[in-house]
Amino acid sequence: MSEPRPRAGVTRREMLALGGAGLGAAAGGALVAAAGGILLDASPATATSLPSPTDADRLRRLVSVELLMLYCYEHVLAGPLLRPRAHRLMLPVRGQEEAHVRVLSSRLAALGGTPPVGPASVKEADRDLARRGVGGRLNQLQGGRDALFLLLAVEQVVVGAYFVALTKLDDVRLVALAAQIMANDAQHEALVGEALHPGQAQKAVPYGLVQGIQ
Amino acid sequence: MVIDTERAAAGDGEEPTPRRALLGQAGATLAGFTLLALTGCGAQPKPGPQSVKRAAPPVRSNDVVLLGRLLDLERRTVAAYIAGIPLLRHPEAKAAEQFLNEELQHTGELLSLIKAAGGTAPDRPPSYDLGHPRTPEDVLALLHALERAQIAAYLEAIPRLSPDPVRAAAASILTNDAQHIAILRLAQGQTPAPSAFVSAHE
Repeated sequence: MSEPRPRAGVTRREMLALGGAGLGAAAGGALVAAAGGILLDASPATATSLPSPTDADRLRRLVSVELLMLYCYEHVLAGPLLRPRAHRLMLPVRGQEEAHVRVLSSRLAALGGTPPVGPASVKEADRDLARRGVGGRLNQLQGGRDALFLLLAVEQVVVGAYFVALTKLDDVRLVALAAQIMANDAQHEALVGEALHPGQAQKAVPYGLVQGIQ
Repeated sequence: MVIDTERAAAGDGEEPTPRRALLGQAGATLAGFTLLALTGCGAQPKPGPQSVKRAAPPVRSNDVVLLGRLLDLERRTVAAYIAGIPLLRHPEAKAAEQFLNEELQHTGELLSLIKAAGGTAPDRPPSYDLGHPRTPEDVLALLHALERAQIAAYLEAIPRLSPDPVRAAAASILTNDAQHIAILRLAQGQTPAPSAFVSAHE
């Protein structure tokens, strides 16, 4: 399976369908990618002719990044990498990520959208991590700290995706839902930080204004 | 526990020196939003405060009312952290100091947004009645309750705030308060994040 690549002249809808994320560039104009996978051609003519993303588009991106997050937790929790305390802290998180996917997918379906499919293998997940600009890879984890740093990085990308979505969603019910989930994912981020740095809140919760990574 | 807000104000971001510093930090969210503007519509990014000023007047005045209520809660929580930290044991006190600094950032951010929208921050009450916590456990319970009240208020306000910089700033504060409550719950021996959907009931 080859990695989808942006090409010159591709429409925004096509780019959204690619489901890509992370920063990227393509011939014919600079492209900027948000964490959720928006790719925009900066040239004015193209930008003005593109339709705005709908709430369904935004939900789809959120489901996509949550599915990656869920895959990472499942992979890490299924292996022997984490120490017992960290494993105990992370275990309930998986169920909460599943709940996010379930509810967001349901809202997406209600809007007529089709939920995306999550990674089917470590290779696919690693490709997605690379696309989103996350440094770690599941198939290169050497120990518990590696695993926790990877989870931390993905949680930050997830929080960033919600931060982006919250400013743009039109339906206030979706805004409320996104805020609740963003807050929960930030709690996960704090718990991963606590597992990495036990008893050091200044490292587990280092920022007063939490925006994740966009 | 009744705390004198004049003394507390020395650190809550409303006196000249700390306020200036906090307003500088307040730009972080707005700067983050500027990046979003690039990704979202292809238009030239505008600094957050200008974007707020450009909002329609009815929306702005509604925002000011909502932000004022949030500021009042933040000030109360700041007062509780200041009063409660001396009663906490070392590890919890260190965490609470970190959270106090972050709550101060929140007050600075809210003050900045209110000013940018052309509003005036509500007056501080002369004091806050925070009950009578005497033990570290009492203080943790008080801080937990106040953080929960803040989360409830932000969750109610966010869908009603103007999109873009104002909503983004409120969300970034809500998210941090949710982290505080998770760590406070952990210190209290409770499940740190009991629900997949953060709410007033946790």
